Amino acid sequence: MNLKKRLATALLYFLLTIMLILFMVPVYGAIVTAFKTATEVAAGGYWTVPTSLALENFARVMDPEAGNLGLYLGNSLLLTIPASFFSISLGTLAGYGLGKYNFKGDGLLFILIVAGMFLPPQIALIPVFRLMNDIGLYDTLWAVIIIHTAFGIPICTLVMRNFFQVVPKALREAALIDGANEYSIFFRIMLPLTLPALAVLATLQFTWIWNDFLWPFILTQKAESRTVMVGILNLTGQYTVDWGGQAAASLIGSLPTLFIFVFFQRYFIRGLTLGAVKG
Amino acid sequence: MLRRHPWIIPASFLALPLLVYFTFVILPTMNSLYYSFTDWSGYGADFNFVGAANFEKIFSDRLFSNAIKNTAIWLALAMTAPTLLGLALALALQGKRKVNTIYKSLFYLPICLSPVIIGIIWVWLYSPKLGIVNLFLRSIGLEDLAIAWLARPNTALIAVFVAWSWQQTGLNMVIFLAGLTSVPAPLVEAAKVDGANYWQTLVKVIIPMLRPATVVVLALTAINALKSFEVIWVMTKGGPFNNSDTLAVFMYSEAFRKLKLGYGSSAAVILFLMTLVIIVLYFRQVAKSDELYE
Amino acid sequence: MLKKRLLVAILAVLVAGLAVTPALTQDDLMGDFTASHYFGGFGGEYIEEIVDDFVAQHEGLNREASPVDHEQFKESILVQLAGNNPPDTFSYWAGGLIQAIVDGERLQPIGDIWEANDLGSQFPQGIIDSALTYNGEIYAVPLTLHWVGMFYNTALFAEHGVMPPTTWDELVAAAETFKMAGIPAFALGSLNRWPGQFWFDMLLLRTAGNAYRQELMNGKASYTDDEVVRAYSMWNDLAQAGYFYPDANAYDWDEAANQVANGEAAMTLMGTWIGGHYESLGLVAGEDFDYFSFPTVDEDIPRASLGPIDTFVVSAAAANPDAAKAFLVHLTDPEIQLKFALGAGNLAPSTAVDPGSYNTVVTRILGEIAADPDFAFNFDLATLPAVAQIGLNSFQEFMANPGDYEGILERVQEAAAAEFAAAM
Repeated sequence: MNLKKRLATALLYFLLTIMLILFMVPVYGAIVTAFKTATEVAAGGYWTVPTSLALENFARVMDPEAGNLGLYLGNSLLLTIPASFFSISLGTLAGYGLGKYNFKGDGLLFILIVAGMFLPPQIALIPVFRLMNDIGLYDTLWAVIIIHTAFGIPICTLVMRNFFQVVPKALREAALIDGANEYSIFFRIMLPLTLPALAVLATLQFTWIWNDFLWPFILTQKAESRTVMVGILNLTGQYTVDWGGQAAASLIGSLPTLFIFVFFQRYFIRGLTLGAVKG
Repeated sequence: MLRRHPWIIPASFLALPLLVYFTFVILPTMNSLYYSFTDWSGYGADFNFVGAANFEKIFSDRLFSNAIKNTAIWLALAMTAPTLLGLALALALQGKRKVNTIYKSLFYLPICLSPVIIGIIWVWLYSPKLGIVNLFLRSIGLEDLAIAWLARPNTALIAVFVAWSWQQTGLNMVIFLAGLTSVPAPLVEAAKVDGANYWQTLVKVIIPMLRPATVVVLALTAINALKSFEVIWVMTKGGPFNNSDTLAVFMYSEAFRKLKLGYGSSAAVILFLMTLVIIVLYFRQVAKSDELYE
Repeated sequence: MLKKRLLVAILAVLVAGLAVTPALTQDDLMGDFTASHYFGGFGGEYIEEIVDDFVAQHEGLNREASPVDHEQFKESILVQLAGNNPPDTFSYWAGGLIQAIVDGERLQPIGDIWEANDLGSQFPQGIIDSALTYNGEIYAVPLTLHWVGMFYNTALFAEHGVMPPTTWDELVAAAETFKMAGIPAFALGSLNRWPGQFWFDMLLLRTAGNAYRQELMNGKASYTDDEVVRAYSMWNDLAQAGYFYPDANAYDWDEAANQVANGEAAMTLMGTWIGGHYESLGLVAGEDFDYFSFPTVDEDIPRASLGPIDTFVVSAAAANPDAAKAFLVHLTDPEIQLKFALGAGNLAPSTAVDPGSYNTVVTRILGEIAADPDFAFNFDLATLPAVAQIGLNSFQEFMANPGDYEGILERVQEAAAAEFAAAM
């Protein structure tokens, strides 16, 4: 490697490191603030390294009498897991129907479904609210589960259809000759093949549904059905100047998605980059 | 029996998802379309059909044109800054060095955070007295620049946009990185052998090969930009005095703050139509690149 | 089987005969009961306690609690009303907001409990007329009364030899004194918009009077009238002179309150709930902080008190209207009125509450309200909800560009006229 090239590389990493430091400032701020005592924060040091690891902010936001995040975290899990499961299941069915069979209007149907991915959710806010109310699900986690299932169908269908399209036709035909019916082919042969795609979707859906706040905000009211994001936002409204508590709540609320980020990064990125590369 | 009706089997797979999708996505959307032709307040018991009156009114509404202007600024910034930054990061980090993995991970860490949390954190960053942005500006002697970023009419929109870009940049980087893996290495090597320098290779070989990734990035960015609501709502609620109103925020404020749901719905319909234009453009581009590569 | 039914019927008749009180008895209240309110960080714990006590007194009731942040409540309650699934009872601000949902047929009148419990004798007639009566019927029960005044840092006033001003000139002189000492006189936290309205309200009330203001609020006067322009020009003078803490739009009301408490600013125009906030910080009313009434500007203009009134209302679509109405009656209990007022630093509307129970500041405020011939609701409750939104934004705009007030007023008038025309 010549000197010029080495210098260029050094410069590149110098710039990258500066960028990275800038990028990490918000995360750093949230972490150090969360571990500071109220007195330390009041002394003016939001951005300094905490002198000790105080856990009082975490205790306060988890306390059922104060932040009550424990309950909200549980609600978010009870909502996110079934909503991810149902949206992926329905998307797999639709994706299989569209990816493996040809019928009149299949292209149009596909576009109609995928277009839902681009719908601004605000457009359906009030009608969805009224609908949930009419069927008696308002203010239950089921309302949010159903709506996330429905709004998740487009992306899941898209991914699964593309997946099933590249599964060799011969596989199905061979099974048909062996006398298997269409449904046992789907369940016995196709589904096991889809596991990687399902993992991709699971990470994506989990993250999106967990992080959403508009739907649970509109569709639930009582604490028993409040999600963690709505809870955190409520907290910031009630205690404007309690940065420590807000920071602790933010960290707690991000833990599940950070977990996915750390352990399932590969699948998550596969999901984000669908369509970016042909094939 | 089943063979004779080829649509029965796909229909059996599609029935349930379509039922759910139509009931909870399409139907409510159509319903909103209907409300956009009424003067419904939202809370009132009855309302009237007013034809296109809402649409006539909205185009002379100063706040609507303000929201359109802000959305256009937001869209223009979104298509450029985070896109170019994401591309630059992807190009810089595409090598196989071990350290790159760490850099990449950290750059896209914001993707897994909720807009609610991003909004909360960035509000502290911009805090006039204690926020790190202003602490930093003061520490390097730029006292005059240490302003209340979210409270000033001419900086609020940009300040919120920077927070939003924090997440979007990482997303773009990831997509470009994926796109780069499909650029054949021999092609790049061949260009080098022919004596092309890095910039020439980049412009002549790599960027054209990144076309599918670029289409995805731009389409996603545009859609996300048009939909962007949560970060803005958490950080400024469209304020100060509508200076960070985008179309989505305008729609929400009209419907739920001014109690004009019919009117707000007509803004939602316009937002949807704008999104539709992008969807159509996107599918046409995708169709084109399909032809290119097949 | 038949015997059993007969037995129950006989028992029922006996019980009915024994029950002398005609009002709702405890045994009548059954089922789920939902009560929502917007008392978040301040006063929330007290109202929660009051609701829980009420539910505990009625064995048949079951309550699902869910405190909501003040700002979020404003939108979430409307979504619930729109969806026809509101809580049985909820707190709401008297004035234009209740009027709007009464007109939308979302509330039920409560004349029956009003008569049965003789509630009319327990509240001042002025409050009954202005805050509880809509389209000729009673719809609400008042929980607290707030009063807007200038709250100041007593130590800072003493240090700079400033006495509480009683005239406009004295106020300006005081502001100038603080400016000379390098302290902004007025803290204002208009991040969430509404605190800015108190300046507009007070200046207009003191210069043009309540009667003119009423006309403006009802769309019968114009924001470009000389009266409004004059009030704004005075506000502009203060702003241009640099008396306000910079970047009002960057701070929430409690941050502005803290600026006064910390001595970074001298005073702030705010409602009585600021006293509750200060006491929660350990400050003592009358010692660490005090108040003065917004100074008289024009001697000929009759003075008016300003503030919001918190009420509880019963949804038209309430699933449990009996419990909701019983809860409203429960709220009129002088002990409960006092408990909430003391907790949140406000005033109890009930005339049965002993004024001697308040701290010195609130006791004196009670005297101010009694002395003023008029009581007015603050801007966002006094006018159409859609116009309120236009105005609230304009106050923020004014704090950012005070010099442009004439342009601002022209735009407000144009937009407000359109809303009034649409509402007619």
